[in-house]
Amino acid sequence: MAQGAVHEAHHEWSVWPFPIGIGTLLVPIAFTLFFHYQKQLAGLIVGGVALVLILIGAAGWANEHFTRESDVGFGWLGTFTFLVSEVVIFGTLFAAFWMARTTHADEWANWVPEGVSLGMAGILTLILWASSFTIFKAETVLEEEGDTGKALMWTFATFVLGALFVILHVKEWAHLWAEGFTLSSNMYGTGFYSLTGLHTSHVLVGLLAQLYVMWLLISGKMTKEKPTLMKGVSVYWHFVDVMWMLVAGTAYLVGSTAI
Amino acid sequence: MREAVAVPWFSAGLKEWIFTTDHKKIGIMYFVTGLVFFTVAGLFGMILRFEQTSPGFQVVSPSFYNYLLTGHGAVMLLWWAIAAHIGGFGNFLLPLMIGARDVAFPRLNALSYWAFFGASVIVLLTLIPGNHIKMMWTGYPPYAAHADAGVTAYYVFAIHLLGVSSIATAVNFITTYLRMRAPGIGFWNTNLYIHSLIAANVIQLIGVPSLAGAVTMLFLDRYLGTNFFNPALGGDPLLYQNVFWFYSHPAVYVMIIPIFGFFSEILATFSRKPIFGYKSMVFAIWGIAVISFIVWIHHMFTSGVPDWARVLISYTTVLVAVPTGIKIFNWIATLHGGAIILRSPMLYTLGGIFMFLIGGLTGIPNAMVAIDLGVHDSLFVVGHFHYVLGMALTMGIFGAVIYWFPKITGRMYPENLGKISFWLVFIGANIFYFTQMVAGFLGMPRRYPDYPPIPEWVTLNQISTIGALILGVGVLVFLVGMIKGLTSGEKAPANPWNSPSLEWQIDSPAPVNNFGEKPPRVEPDYHPYKYGAPPAF
Repeated sequence: MAQGAVHEAHHEWSVWPFPIGIGTLLVPIAFTLFFHYQKQLAGLIVGGVALVLILIGAAGWANEHFTRESDVGFGWLGTFTFLVSEVVIFGTLFAAFWMARTTHADEWANWVPEGVSLGMAGILTLILWASSFTIFKAETVLEEEGDTGKALMWTFATFVLGALFVILHVKEWAHLWAEGFTLSSNMYGTGFYSLTGLHTSHVLVGLLAQLYVMWLLISGKMTKEKPTLMKGVSVYWHFVDVMWMLVAGTAYLVGSTAI
Repeated sequence: MREAVAVPWFSAGLKEWIFTTDHKKIGIMYFVTGLVFFTVAGLFGMILRFEQTSPGFQVVSPSFYNYLLTGHGAVMLLWWAIAAHIGGFGNFLLPLMIGARDVAFPRLNALSYWAFFGASVIVLLTLIPGNHIKMMWTGYPPYAAHADAGVTAYYVFAIHLLGVSSIATAVNFITTYLRMRAPGIGFWNTNLYIHSLIAANVIQLIGVPSLAGAVTMLFLDRYLGTNFFNPALGGDPLLYQNVFWFYSHPAVYVMIIPIFGFFSEILATFSRKPIFGYKSMVFAIWGIAVISFIVWIHHMFTSGVPDWARVLISYTTVLVAVPTGIKIFNWIATLHGGAIILRSPMLYTLGGIFMFLIGGLTGIPNAMVAIDLGVHDSLFVVGHFHYVLGMALTMGIFGAVIYWFPKITGRMYPENLGKISFWLVFIGANIFYFTQMVAGFLGMPRRYPDYPPIPEWVTLNQISTIGALILGVGVLVFLVGMIKGLTSGEKAPANPWNSPSLEWQIDSPAPVNNFGEKPPRVEPDYHPYKYGAPPAF
């Protein structure tokens, strides 16, 4: 996630982008080893190294940001701009899903498994709605009152709700997968798992960001004067929430309704 | 890293280059990496041309030919036509032209470069025998998802890393432009290059994720058995083409719009006149950016799309000619009555506009469904896009290199080598690509390594190779000029072209902290093209 930063003369260079860059190079190499060359162990090792490099880089980067004097506040705009491109990433999968759904409307009903339940989708939606509210509270409490204790509490509440969402969702997947509804069963399976999977990966990124925000609040680095990261995390989380409604509407509602 | 040492700029150590967050250094790293890959992909192209000089197999095997063609296409488009000038010149010029200290997120900017570097490493990995990729730069399934196409994962991940880099750059540039302009720089007195750059980055922001989505689906289909492109279980190979071209058509405007920006800057300077119709130029740039997203189906006229879509997209495609036409007429009107100085950047600009005009006019028949059905996948299309993307773009970049060489390096590019390289490139390219278009109209298909010994085709291919050789020599002369300029070029004054634009108001080479502690003072009537009073017509 982009962070606001001012560029003073003494900040000509930073060591942290480089390890993250090498990490992002090693991730695809790990995937290639794992999937293309079928060298699972090597893939896992390279992937582990990549993850460590990225985490070290991200931690150092953020530390550098929070040891600065001021927070210019471009981060919110940066995150917002970034989300425009996220919408399009989801859009490609929506295109895939809707193309299949409309051209194969006649045989679609045969592809819908027993276990896809709208009730579960509803529960998951309510959880995310609640979490959008809690992160909104966290943000306003930090910005208006400067109360880091309350902000921490609301962020923690968001984290718990998000984690609950992931756990319930993974259980749902396991259940459906066991029923024989997999990624490769048919285009409903492909569309269902790829859409919900892409969405859950975003939830996980949001959770990581919230963990990080909590650490910043506890260590006193994030204050009323430096709320940009909180704003960015909040915008991102609202996006995840809104996107879920489209994902659930497509993967669950349109997907499982036989018309 | 290798490129960092090769550029004697600020005489910075290796460590300083690797860990830099300075937009100028990052720009140079981008450009030099792009230039290295341009040279390699150019060599690939030369081998392809030698193979095509006469029928039969002379130089390479068909399978290696496919690899070379894939590499030539992917690297030329993504490394040279996008990264080299958007990452290179965009980074260098954006803060300088808007009077900022740096971009909005300097460290993210460094990360953009390193992601681009990662993609470059992946492309180098495909050079290893056994790792070749042969799905062409478009990577259409079902072939791309087949084992015969090579390591699909490398193709997918090179695009992913470029995508990370491009999206980060787009976020960065757009935020920079919106929030970091010096007081006094507004929408109506921004350099046209900056307008073009930001329009291109808006397209990148919306488009790149679409390409990323397409190749991700390819990866999932190839390795995890999903059904995106499997018609038997509800998938559709056309989906790939749609999602792919939804980015990859707008991508050609990402490539060319900033080049139009170069043309506008250089043309105004060497006509000593304000650019004609500045506002209409701005509208044209943003108009092209909008229209770019509603024309992608013209790549799929023969792929089995419905007639209504073909007719509709045929119209929207022709609509692109309106804003581009506005630009070309404005450039001509800028020349009219100007005090034209034929320095080498100006020659490259005029040559580039000429090439674009031919490429643009041959694009119109391509947009006509009835004609396209005949010339689709023929060398005519290859000639067409080498005029627009190949040569208009390369000439634009070469002109820009010569034009901003003083600001970047502090030295002048040797004028005589600039002129010689221009004429070689211009003559060579026209011989090369015009004959290709003719061969295409005579029915010669693209992409095949071999062709039957039809006398007309053979003659045209031989002429084409001669043109390619002249073009190659021209490019070499240009590269020699760069090295000569770097090592023994004349020392450049701060403002050698006497331009009112902001980047020329500071020393050459640009100082480390750009304008100093405070943003530059911008006069209330500042305009980047204020070359004296507009002449009376």
